Amino acid sequence: MTNILLGYQPLFDLFLLHLGMAYSQWLVLRAGVFSLATAGLAAVGAYTGGILVVSLGFPAPVALLLAGLAGGIVALGLSIPLARLRGVYQAIATVAFIQIVLSLNIYASGLTGGPQGLNGIPKTVGTVTLLIAGILTVYLMYTITNSRLGRAFDAIRQNEAVAASLGVSIVRHQTLAFIISGALAGVYGALEAFHSYALAPSQFGFTFLISILAYVVLGGRNTIIGPIVGTAILLLLPEIARPLAEARMLVYGLLLILVINYLPHGIADTLIERARARRLSARLAKSDSVATTATRN
Amino acid sequence: MSLTLQNVSKRFGGVVASDSVNITVPKGKITGLIGPNGAGKTTIVNMITGMLAVSDGQISVGGRDITHASADEICRARLARTFQNIRILPDNSVLENILIGFHRHEKCSTLAAILGLPSARRESEKIVKMAEELLQRFGMSALADFPAGGLSYGHQRKLEMMRALASEPEFMLLDEPIAGMNDVESDSLAELFQELASTGMGILLIEHNIRFVSKLCEYIYVLDGGRLIAEGAPTVVLRDPEVMAAYIGGEHA
Ligand SMILES: Nc1ncnc2c1ncn2[C@@H]1O[C@H](COP(=O)(O)OP(=O)(O)OP(=O)(O)O)[C@@H](O)[C@H]1O
Ligand SMILES: [Mg+2]
Repeated sequence: MTNILLGYQPLFDLFLLHLGMAYSQWLVLRAGVFSLATAGLAAVGAYTGGILVVSLGFPAPVALLLAGLAGGIVALGLSIPLARLRGVYQAIATVAFIQIVLSLNIYASGLTGGPQGLNGIPKTVGTVTLLIAGILTVYLMYTITNSRLGRAFDAIRQNEAVAASLGVSIVRHQTLAFIISGALAGVYGALEAFHSYALAPSQFGFTFLISILAYVVLGGRNTIIGPIVGTAILLLLPEIARPLAEARMLVYGLLLILVINYLPHGIADTLIERARARRLSARLAKSDSVATTATRN
Repeated sequence: MSLTLQNVSKRFGGVVASDSVNITVPKGKITGLIGPNGAGKTTIVNMITGMLAVSDGQISVGGRDITHASADEICRARLARTFQNIRILPDNSVLENILIGFHRHEKCSTLAAILGLPSARRESEKIVKMAEELLQRFGMSALADFPAGGLSYGHQRKLEMMRALASEPEFMLLDEPIAGMNDVESDSLAELFQELASTGMGILLIEHNIRFVSKLCEYIYVLDGGRLIAEGAPTVVLRDPEVMAAYIGGEHA
């Protein structure tokens, strides 16, 4: 029994790492920023953390914080040109940003190890650390969602003119969402570095970007549960049906197309919406029947 | 204190949507703005609220120049509006749609909001209570948890009004607030508008229903083709030959 569970531990670790990245993506989308920069910001965090520990001998916890800071600062810089763009142009600009990060990685080989990657990172992060990080992340996403910030993000995403007419500063809130998303990506990038001995530049490329986006779109963009459901399904699926593992990206692609067509709000969001609709119509029916019995008496 | 437009103009390429318009909206009164379709009424509201750049002229509130202020600054200068083409937040519940209206009053620090500190939680609880009071006042408490996208037209218009009221404006710009409502609903809103004005709020009311406007306003402005063609007491203005012609569509069509 314990052996079986232990067998799944690497998968659980991967789930927790990718969940954090998924929340980084989820948060910007929630604020109406069509950014795909999470992969690039995770690379910034991973390499910041790795270099600080390997070349400069920083303790891992300090390096982790600095990696989060680096992710947030780079996001702040990136938010300036991004604020002038909307929709698909934001997506294109952030993909270009990922390209820049990946090529800088190769050029600065003295610092990053270049195409060979960064090796010899001491493994300081295990399942327990990741679990704590995961719980903290979900907590933060919950508090942000239920605060004035979350309400402002929701309004901006749905209608910028309405948000502005109610006093919401669009640039300030989108920048803030982007910084938090960047810090989160930076921290999780470093967690990944400290969890896996080595970093390769290709690790944060196109495949990674699509996976992260798929978790959010498949699970749901407007509920906290969304990324958990999406990440769990997409990581478990290839494990349950082994032959699918070979064609992971093909499966992701097909699933995405299916979900976008039939459950455009994602699996978790759609189920939650339906449950809510049932509960509300039941309540309505009950108050109606109360009203009719009242008139009958 | 009042909201004033001085020689305000707006040009869209060749189209002059607003031609040197002068309007004063005093506090504590309901001021009417009428005119045929395409006269430029919504354009005026869009310019006042910072959603359209003003081509010429000056807009000020209580002596403060807001001509080139951004939409969110104008909200903080205590102006609120509703939209002719209803704009509720369809993903959110009715209650959540009102909560966002309180944004201007939320003062807890960003860090407190991110970390969910007690100050942020208390503030959230407080505005939920205030939103529930607004729902009660509009007779929509039973709908609080329903998705706003599924409401009837009339309820959506009321929801926009609650959201605008939540920001506690001194001036309210209502762009056709009773369109699509029945007489009972519009009568109850008429009462509400009068009540708001009696507490000191200045209201600019855009409406096609002449009976409704004449009942509520002491002073009305008539726009046609972006130009003010008449202003004054409704009884006088509505007998003006130019106004009648504009409405029948004679020489201005
Ligand atoms: N964004 C825009 N770009 C170009 N032209 C515009 C724009 N907005 C309005 N117009 C034009 O300005 C003129 C006035 O439009 P506006 O919407 O202000 O009229 P209105 O009085 O509100 O009409 P209605 O009673 O139909 O609501 C119209 O000719 C319209 O086509
Ligand atoms: Mg209009």
